[in-house]
Amino acid sequence: MEATYELSAADRGLVAALRDGDERAFAQLLSQFGTTMLRVARLYVDSQAVAEEVVQEAWVAVLRGLERFEGRSTFSTWVLAIVANIARTRAVREARSLPFSSFEVEGAEPAVEPERFREAGEPYAGGWKSFPTDWRTLPESRLLANETFDLVGRAIEELPDSQRIVITLRDVTGCSAEEVCETLGISEGNQRVLLHRARARVRAQLERHLDG
Amino acid sequence: MAESRHDFVEGYACREVVELATEYLEGAMTPQQMTRFELHLNLCDGCFTFVEQVRATAGMARSLSEDEIPEETRAKLLEAFRGWRSE
Repeated sequence: MEATYELSAADRGLVAALRDGDERAFAQLLSQFGTTMLRVARLYVDSQAVAEEVVQEAWVAVLRGLERFEGRSTFSTWVLAIVANIARTRAVREARSLPFSSFEVEGAEPAVEPERFREAGEPYAGGWKSFPTDWRTLPESRLLANETFDLVGRAIEELPDSQRIVITLRDVTGCSAEEVCETLGISEGNQRVLLHRARARVRAQLERHLDG
Repeated sequence: MAESRHDFVEGYACREVVELATEYLEGAMTPQQMTRFELHLNLCDGCFTFVEQVRATAGMARSLSEDEIPEETRAKLLEAFRGWRSE
């Protein structure tokens, strides 16, 4: 898994092979990081074509920077930070406004509508009025239907930018929390709040769909 | 004590548990918080289900991912690598 990839002794060999221009070593790294790099680039630039150019440029920077890479962060974190930097520069050069203004966490946003809980003064205050449905009791054909996955994809697309970016990197792509914080330059706390809000919104959409 | 199960699950009402689900799943809780949180889950089917739903939601998002970059892109990047090598 790329998320836990570190520059171990074996990987140092790989890195040396890369520096020597070994194409198989490059192909292996491409399989490991290619998709994630493209996704990170796409956060900043408009088109897939430009994202590919960013990734190409990033690889060159990675290869040139190998000498200086000391393994202080994980290799993947280092690579993704390079991609993000190049993509940001590219977005600025093309005078494109960034797709979001900030990753600051604003306002309160309950994960579940407050009406679903018993009010203060009632018995069991703050407890569920009625429990959510256990999805494991649903027929698999319903839970695993293409329609259900499409809904998850759409729900993610419709999230506010900062939430969409964080859930895409964490849950869709499988980046670690550390990688996301480093790549986006946000604190662990903000990363977690944005992930929580994103998951809560997608869960709520799923619930509406599956209970309906 | 007998009149309210939620009093027994000290400190966390269901309304609070749903806000802590990601912190729990991320392993970002203190041991004390985790003990209280898990005690609540053990006693409350609603919150147990909620946390499972959040976990399932993340799992479904993961399965949207395509595992490989498109062949065409891959070919382009390999070509760029060859270009770099011959620089």
